[in-house]
Amino acid sequence: MAGSPLRPVLRRVGSGLVVLWAAATAAYLALLAAPGDTVDAIVGEGADTPQIRADIVAEWGLDRPAVVQYLDYLGRLVTGDLGRSYLLQRPVAEVIGEQLAPTLALALAAAGLGVLLAVTVAIGTAGDRRPWLRRASSGAELLLVSTPSFLIGIVLLSVLSFRFGLFPVAGAHGFGSLVLPAVTLALPIAGLLAQVLRDGLDRALDEPFVLTARARGVRERVVLLRHALRHASLPAVTLAGWLFGILLGGAVIVEQVFGRPGLGQVTLAAVTAKDMPVVLAVVTLSAAVYVAVNTAADLTYLLVDPRLRRS
Amino acid sequence: MPAHPLRTRAAVALTALLVTLAGCSTGPAPAAGTAGAPRSGGTVTWAVETEPITLNPHQYAQAKVRLLVWNTFESLLTYDQQGRLVPWLATAWQAAPDGLSYTLTLRDKVTFSDGAAFDAAAVKANIDKLREPGYAPTVAAVQLHNLKEVQVLDPRRVRLLLTAPDVLILDFLASPQGAQVSPRSLREAKNLKAGGVDLAGTGPFVLDRYVPGQELHYKRNPAYDWAPPTAGHTGPAHLDGITYRFLKESAVRVGALTSGQVQLIEGVPATDQPTVTANPTLRLSRQLNSGSAYSYYLNTSHAPFDDKRVRQAFREAVDVDAVLKAVYRDTATRAWSVVSPSSPLYDKRLEGTYGGDTAKANALLDQAGWTGRDADGYRTRAGKRLTVRLVQAAPYVRDRRDILAQAVQAAVKQSAGIDLKITLVDQGTAQQAFETNQYEVFDNSRADTDAGAALNLLLHSKGGINRTRTDDRRTDALLEAGQATADPGRRAAVYADLQQRVVTEQALVLPLYAPADQIAASTAVGGVRFEPTAGVPASAYDLWIGN
Repeated sequence: MAGSPLRPVLRRVGSGLVVLWAAATAAYLALLAAPGDTVDAIVGEGADTPQIRADIVAEWGLDRPAVVQYLDYLGRLVTGDLGRSYLLQRPVAEVIGEQLAPTLALALAAAGLGVLLAVTVAIGTAGDRRPWLRRASSGAELLLVSTPSFLIGIVLLSVLSFRFGLFPVAGAHGFGSLVLPAVTLALPIAGLLAQVLRDGLDRALDEPFVLTARARGVRERVVLLRHALRHASLPAVTLAGWLFGILLGGAVIVEQVFGRPGLGQVTLAAVTAKDMPVVLAVVTLSAAVYVAVNTAADLTYLLVDPRLRRS
Repeated sequence: MPAHPLRTRAAVALTALLVTLAGCSTGPAPAAGTAGAPRSGGTVTWAVETEPITLNPHQYAQAKVRLLVWNTFESLLTYDQQGRLVPWLATAWQAAPDGLSYTLTLRDKVTFSDGAAFDAAAVKANIDKLREPGYAPTVAAVQLHNLKEVQVLDPRRVRLLLTAPDVLILDFLASPQGAQVSPRSLREAKNLKAGGVDLAGTGPFVLDRYVPGQELHYKRNPAYDWAPPTAGHTGPAHLDGITYRFLKESAVRVGALTSGQVQLIEGVPATDQPTVTANPTLRLSRQLNSGSAYSYYLNTSHAPFDDKRVRQAFREAVDVDAVLKAVYRDTATRAWSVVSPSSPLYDKRLEGTYGGDTAKANALLDQAGWTGRDADGYRTRAGKRLTVRLVQAAPYVRDRRDILAQAVQAAVKQSAGIDLKITLVDQGTAQQAFETNQYEVFDNSRADTDAGAALNLLLHSKGGINRTRTDDRRTDALLEAGQATADPGRRAAVYADLQQRVVTEQALVLPLYAPADQIAASTAVGGVRFEPTAGVPASAYDLWIGN
């Protein structure tokens, strides 16, 4: 491959920007196509007279053609100006900025816990050493994957918070209040990841290199951890993008149930009220994180699989 | 904001089970004890359903956050239990004989929490701000529609000059939108329209922390000494501070209360009320809201509701008592008029005058020509099914009004063969249906303290939400007379005529129930009250917590 070693990096950044632009534009078009116009959304349930509507149109510059509004929006996006929320009457960057930390804490805790649980369960139940345990675990995983996180959250709350008072119900007050929301969000993730990982482990355990390793007298645990897990984790890493989607979607529900601040609540309120600037900012931010997560996943491939490093 | 209804229902069922389990075993006992006599000190946590969109009282639009507004801000007037106006920041008010001006005398020695004095200039600054383009378009166009100007007579007296007699201006002066914000905040606050800790008021508490999505915290204003006559005590508030947590799920609110993590909650749905009443350490109180009752407004601009007989038949086809019992058990209060039964303008004579007569419903529909029946059992006329559409905007559905609609749907089908089609949609789609006249039924209740303000919007031919699309000269004349009449007795008579006109004579509405608020509190908390007339939970001023 000729040219600068920076080229793949630049290509990555370029395609990332295209994804961002596409996401922002698609969201803009979707909101534009949704029934009812922005003035309706701002008027909401309240009184509605031509004078009020005219005032709103003037205030937000809604009389400009859609194309002009779109270009204006893109232009401001490039300079990092996310605009002002119709509903909350505050700068969007401020609204999102103050909600980012609690969501990040929740997402990282849930992702970490989910992965930890999945790896533990998959390693503990892979192969055909303990078929009963494997069956039980597989059933439990299926149950967790199919249960809405709303229900998991309410059950956990009812038992651990209302009944035994072990954890506080609401808010983001330190570690204690993070436990239940993180577990609620982590369980479905752990369920699916465990299934994928175990499947990968099973297949890896059938490979000739495992036979070779065992023939060399390597202990079973080492075979699993050092040889098979590495192979099995490739498909799991591919799921990183999916994981991110689950975290974001799950956060909406979990934050609502546990009364936690965060982006999920902001998104839900913005979408129901058609608060365009906030929705657009959330979509763009999600797209950016998505690009970052997938890039990280690609890099992880190289780390996990030496064969990929050569090409 | 509603979660997915199915999810909610599943959760309600499950939670009911779990709460029952928790209730009958040895869970942690909620803070027992009784409130005793009022005492100063302590803090409480109150779980509320709704997070304010804005903390600026001028921008107020959610009845559910009224209890928060009055912690930090106060109006010039307020209402007593009988719906009469009483002094607050204004000690007296005098209307000119022609009704074209009101002179207000202001209370002395009142200060905003930023140290600024409350005086006539402050009142003028607030009202002028409200009329500034782009600041509060709704208030400027509706409540202040007839206001010409505000004159400062001296530091303690202001005069409001009107372009037409308008008694509702007094209701504005008693409303959250008319609350007084420090002029300095109006000039300098960073996000004025969003409000927040940098907006100073004269109220008994000062907002010192807002964590969006989580909570609000207020601390006592030690200088406070100007409580309205409707309050339970005078001087500073009892509590050192109060935290309001936003818990949107009712099951979670109730669980937080029964496990002692919060001391008060509001918004207790019928399904959760037995849990509270069965617990000796908790107390449930309820109060009807003021304003308009929750009603179905029938669109008279096209078939089939352009025919009065069909409107009457629709009303007769519903046994409202049975429907309410099915959906809300025994917790709902039936409405007979567009005006809430708790309003002083309510016309009691309407009670029992219509409804639930299946034979009459069918006879009326036969007369109106809807004599055919199709394969599904619905009535038809000239091959067309008797279908009416109810469009509900999901963000505004509360009190299980979607379930109530299903019960009404079943009732009208069974008793008269009317096909009520319910669509639950987003706000934009609903708005579009109303604008393009693609609906026959519109549902609404409004929590205005003066029902006249609600009726102007809902029933006047030029009203902002005239969804019956009525254009009746007599109705308009009565509404205008009601707005211009100052004498309470004569005013009530005008609105009684109006209710007879729209409910009895024209059958424009099917009133269903009177919206209410509920508070469930630990018995350790005293001074739990509702705001007089408005009927919503009162501010934290009178609350105290026992030792």
